[in-house]
Amino acid sequence: MPSRILLAALGIEAVVFAAIAPNFATVANVFEVMRLSVEVGLLAVAMTPILVTGGIDLSVGAMMGLAAVIFGAAYRDWSLPIGMAAAAALLAGCGGGVLNAALISALDIPPLIVTLGSLSLFRGLAEGITHGATNYSGFPPTVLRIGQGYLWGIVPAQLPILLAIVLAYAIVLHRSVIGRAWYAIGFAASGARYAGIPVARRVGLAYVLSGLVSSLAAIVYVAHLGQARADAGTGYELDAITAVVLGGTSVFGGRGTIWGTLGGLFAIAVLQNGLHLAALPSELIGVLVGTLLIGTIAIDRMRRRSRALGGRLQEEDTIVRNSQVAVLCAAVIAGALIVAGTNVWLVRSIESNVRGAGAAVPASRRAHRPVVAVMPKAKGDPYFVSCRAGAEEAAQELGVDLIWDGPTSLDAAKQNELVENWITRGVDVIAVAVENRAAISTVLRKARERGIRVLTWDADAEPDARDFFVNQATAEGIANALTDEAARLLGGAGDFAIITGALTAANQNEWIAFIGKRVSEKHSGLKLATIRPSDDDRDKAFAETQTILKVYPSVKLMMAISAPAVPGAAEAVRQAGRSDVRVIGLSLPNINKPYVHAGVVQTVVLWNTRDLGYLTVYAGALAADRKLPAGTRAIEAGRLGAISIRGSEIVLGPPLLFNKENIDRFDF
Amino acid sequence: MRREWSVAIAIGALAAALALVAPSYFSAENLRDIFLVNMPVLVAAIGTTLVILTGEIDISVGSAFAVCSVAAGVAAKAGMPTALAGLTACAVGAAAGAVNGALVAYAGIPSIVVTLAAMVALRDGLRWTTQGAWIADLPPRFQWLGVAQSTFPVVAGLASGLLVVAFAWAMRNLAAGRAVYATGSNAQAARLASIDTAFVKLAVFTAGGALTGLAALLNSVRFNQIPSNTGIGLEMKVIAAVVVGGAAITGGRGTFTGTVLGVMLLGAIGPALTFFGVSAQWERALQGAIILAAVTVDAARAGLSRTALVGA
Amino acid sequence: MAGLLLEAAHITKTFAGVHALRGVSFDLAAGEVHALVGENGAGKSTFIKIVTGAESADSGTLTVAGRAIHRMDPPTARALGVAAIYQNPALFPGLTVAENIALPLDGGRAFGRVDWRARRRNASQILKQVGAAIDPDREVGRLSMPERQLVEIAKAIGANARILIMDEPTASLTEREIGGLLEVVRRLRAAGAGVIYISHKLEEIFAVADRVTVLRDGESIATRPRGQIERGELVRLMIGRELTTMYPKRVVPLGDVALELRGVSNRTRGVRQISLTVRRGEIVGVAGLVGSGRTELAETLFGLTPPDEGDILVNGAAAAIASPAHAIRLGIGYVPEDRQRHGVIPAMSIAANTTLSNLAAVSSRGLIDRAAERRASTKYVEELRIRTPSVLDAVEGLSGGNQQKVALARWLSIQPAVLILDEPTQGIDIAAKAEIHEIMERLAEAGVAILMISSELPELLAMADRIAVMRRGAIAGIVSRSDATPDRVMALALGHAA
Repeated sequence: MPSRILLAALGIEAVVFAAIAPNFATVANVFEVMRLSVEVGLLAVAMTPILVTGGIDLSVGAMMGLAAVIFGAAYRDWSLPIGMAAAAALLAGCGGGVLNAALISALDIPPLIVTLGSLSLFRGLAEGITHGATNYSGFPPTVLRIGQGYLWGIVPAQLPILLAIVLAYAIVLHRSVIGRAWYAIGFAASGARYAGIPVARRVGLAYVLSGLVSSLAAIVYVAHLGQARADAGTGYELDAITAVVLGGTSVFGGRGTIWGTLGGLFAIAVLQNGLHLAALPSELIGVLVGTLLIGTIAIDRMRRRSRALGGRLQEEDTIVRNSQVAVLCAAVIAGALIVAGTNVWLVRSIESNVRGAGAAVPASRRAHRPVVAVMPKAKGDPYFVSCRAGAEEAAQELGVDLIWDGPTSLDAAKQNELVENWITRGVDVIAVAVENRAAISTVLRKARERGIRVLTWDADAEPDARDFFVNQATAEGIANALTDEAARLLGGAGDFAIITGALTAANQNEWIAFIGKRVSEKHSGLKLATIRPSDDDRDKAFAETQTILKVYPSVKLMMAISAPAVPGAAEAVRQAGRSDVRVIGLSLPNINKPYVHAGVVQTVVLWNTRDLGYLTVYAGALAADRKLPAGTRAIEAGRLGAISIRGSEIVLGPPLLFNKENIDRFDF
Repeated sequence: MRREWSVAIAIGALAAALALVAPSYFSAENLRDIFLVNMPVLVAAIGTTLVILTGEIDISVGSAFAVCSVAAGVAAKAGMPTALAGLTACAVGAAAGAVNGALVAYAGIPSIVVTLAAMVALRDGLRWTTQGAWIADLPPRFQWLGVAQSTFPVVAGLASGLLVVAFAWAMRNLAAGRAVYATGSNAQAARLASIDTAFVKLAVFTAGGALTGLAALLNSVRFNQIPSNTGIGLEMKVIAAVVVGGAAITGGRGTFTGTVLGVMLLGAIGPALTFFGVSAQWERALQGAIILAAVTVDAARAGLSRTALVGA
Repeated sequence: MAGLLLEAAHITKTFAGVHALRGVSFDLAAGEVHALVGENGAGKSTFIKIVTGAESADSGTLTVAGRAIHRMDPPTARALGVAAIYQNPALFPGLTVAENIALPLDGGRAFGRVDWRARRRNASQILKQVGAAIDPDREVGRLSMPERQLVEIAKAIGANARILIMDEPTASLTEREIGGLLEVVRRLRAAGAGVIYISHKLEEIFAVADRVTVLRDGESIATRPRGQIERGELVRLMIGRELTTMYPKRVVPLGDVALELRGVSNRTRGVRQISLTVRRGEIVGVAGLVGSGRTELAETLFGLTPPDEGDILVNGAAAAIASPAHAIRLGIGYVPEDRQRHGVIPAMSIAANTTLSNLAAVSSRGLIDRAAERRASTKYVEELRIRTPSVLDAVEGLSGGNQQKVALARWLSIQPAVLILDEPTQGIDIAAKAEIHEIMERLAEAGVAILMISSELPELLAMADRIAVMRRGAIAGIVSRSDATPDRVMALALGHAA
């Protein structure tokens, strides 16, 4: 059973969010919380017996990625029927589990080391199979229904899968001979051996099952997002472990229940959901989850200690000692402080919104100010940070409430989750910078059905999933601008190399495809020497560029197509003293100014991101007031003046080329 | 010492292959560049080695690295001299490490749980406060620690080399160092030998944090801006290097020679694969396979020698 | 009294209601070897724990070198020059021999410099004193058990102990090493140290001790100078009661041979050429010194370390026992010596512990029927009179005797053909002891073949139909109940012709 402290935390969360978050306490929202917990829930449930035996499995998230890719490849590339494809994915999961199990129980290598290695191996295989770039989609509707549909109009279709696995694991762990063996092994592996339990086999089984369940989670994930990519499930292992540990399972083995894990899972899910509904920033999640984790476990341990001092075991549930009362009080106070802290933050942020808007808006309208929710691809990305400034400017000017939130790092699943939460909260307009086209479209359609105006910006969803797309530049336009600029700088012929974001980044992969096309069509003198990933990490882009400069001395131009990669590549070129190598790329003016002025970076291609944010919110406000019907040909967008609309695309204008002459005029 | 030999042999094999296929790998500037890129990993790995030697683990290194980098940048921008900015970074790292260490040593919470919480909390906390903004316009004297770019590798090489040698020496020759080994080897026996094992754990986490801060400083001064999202995944790199270098995850066994070799092997593979012309998408799979192979061969050999020993 | 290093007077200690020590008095002079003898459970270990500060006495006084010590704790004990050598060495496996010897010495100064050369020199010097040829640079984790024992001794000697406590220091040493060790003890005595020497091996005691104190049931029965006591009397004092009335084993008609060993060897564990039969209803005792291979034989039979030679026949059929699960299927149960680590899983409930080895009996299609489990467990709890409020309580809350009954109960459920009991009554109180013995009898009557390993002679003499005496991994002789005397068994165990 989940500890009383965890239940108390869950209770406090529920009460607080019911008070401050719109539509938190509704049946539909409860089911939404559950839907979003399914994948991590599956992993966490399978992780529970592993922790019970005193082990750990860090490879589950990577296994999801591998299984997702195999599922996609089996269906799309090898043309297997969908059932066979699913079987292939499950088989891969089994195989991965067997590898872990063999190394852990046969060779007696610590699980932490084994699964750390297999984490890299599985994720690496997934990247290798897809070349990092392939993004499998176009799955049959039967599959998609599992991840996106509803049973009886309200129960998410994947929920029964989680329920089935939870029940199966609960039965095996709590009722079966095997589960008993897991506990015995966790408490005392040698004692279990003397009792005739086949320890190696039982431990191995937990890892094999974990691999299998991870691949099942991968199928649900694919069905949920409608796409299979090598980065599926990145970081999920830590989410799963957090849920399990929060649920009271000991990392030393022996103690823990499936019900506790469910408690931990929902404590995190409710927290995320509540914060989103209350329009509190996503960064709070990490901070609060960390606090919750340390808090519950510390309190639990203190209680155990005082109980151990108190003696007899069987009295634990009936006698409440003074020390326990004290500890519980401390817990309540700590919880209250956290809640109070968030409330203060909430109140302050609302106040600042109201203050900012108050001057421009007549009092009568303040009561029903439209709410425009805008989502970047990743919150911390400087590109999107610069968009936000424009968005806030427009919100103030027009007197709308702006919710600006998104995943803290690129994560398609988190985008869907946030849109779901906004639907539940009941905002007027949703504008999304789309990370994954197929994945987001389903949930955007749902938003439209509920009467919410939907815009996309920066990157588009399926056309029928949104009302308008605020288009700063097409992928082809960007690719062409970059390629033409490269050709100009190289004088029409020469080698160049590309530093991309993550290998799996969809946008970048699309640009690369168009760059290749442009090269073969118009600039046959150009030759692409290599493509290296930077994982959106400046330092990695730096190191990769250094290596490229040495391995491919003929490369005379670095094209970096991820915002942090341009200064990274530029710094590498500068430090190498290679004044014959030019650097261009897609990035922000501010972080590149030193290099542009130093003549290392010739051209940065981008649009005015501040204007993009401004235009998005401006269009959103118009849509909220029903002043943006389909077929509108042009709008008057405040300080931007007249903006034309092509079809359903609101076009910001052509990309800007920043260079020595003009870059100081931009500040973002 | 056996694992160190396996790693050394692996490095030798890699070097031999490179000498055949891509001799330019051994150009002075390439070696210098690879060294500078891996120097922060090495410095952080010293701290993680300490932590792992006591039988604990720290997976918050990457997040702490980012926090320390930003702290160093903010301090430098506030006009502090570079030394003071570096001290700030180390102090911030040490403080984060001390909190982890206290929770592990005195509250008795497993280190993986504590540092997991620290990992998410520090990372998201930093995102919240910086809102993703980079620290730009660093004072010029901050870059390269105030020395010329060409002398920096010498300075940094000397500094990190000295650091490794100093730690290796201290861990071998100071009572405090031996207390770390003793704590990880047999905590019960260590307490019997009047070693305050809880304090030892607090100390290694604190020292690990300070070293993370130093790593962050050495990395930050190589650039003129500090991204706030730096250091993602650093903890895994560091732990893998330490473990490949032969340190036992259960504590009490491991050397700095091993850690240095582990960092060398893992740091050399990435660029080497590029020199070999392997495409980027297989890199991670190969790295995983190499880690697994290293620990498997070692475990299999240990198993063989164990039976041989008993049979004798 | 001048010259007394240690004086303990009227020490009492109670654990969970069981009197471990009831008024023990003991003293030790400088330049003296004072032997402490007694059966297992007589209170020797508890007494040592009190002297080293690991436990505190309930009452009584402790005087070290003329200073009354009110609160003894390990640091104080060390500071006073009290050092103990335990049966299970507390060493650092990852560190070298030299360091293991040195570490307890130079605690304190965190930034003190380690002088490796001095450490090594010191270590090899001490090791030479002990008569051990061990390279000080070797890693302790790679040493054999006797080598570790020697390092443990060297460690204590290195600490310049004035009061050295040796608890069965020779248990796993060879004759040559024992000779060297006794030489060390004599040298320490000559240097003015006091040695408390604990051993089951009476020959050693007669070889080195100046005085002997006998402990029995937590009381100091007698203290005699070496010249004023002879072997027979010492044994009598240790055992202290009429053997025949203490453990009555009723005569049970013996059935067919249930377990037969033909030349069973396990070279890696040091078990050599064991041939033995146990019949239904028979209790065969296994005597021998600690380290004579008794436990290793039991673990070989139970499949934990399968034999590499010889045949094992269970109920007349050859069985190649490969794992504990296999042994259990053949109807072999094993109550191991280390109850806490192997015999039970202390953190689990009584119900879970009693059914752990035969979950099939309380489950169908792999699912445990909790009601059936509780019923089965309750049955054993009543049958074995395990005193507990509920079968759902954790075993760790029970007394030693009740824990041992739980360990036994586990095997009742498999209806064993053969039951191997390793030190079944070690460290439990008299009443529980008698109960365990009665359970064994009932099992024998029901036709179970029992192999009982015990270090307690009286127990063996009273309970066993025959006693197989082991020495150095082999059977030194088998004595039948009617011929068995303490002297005869001891003689076989020690390797004297009787």
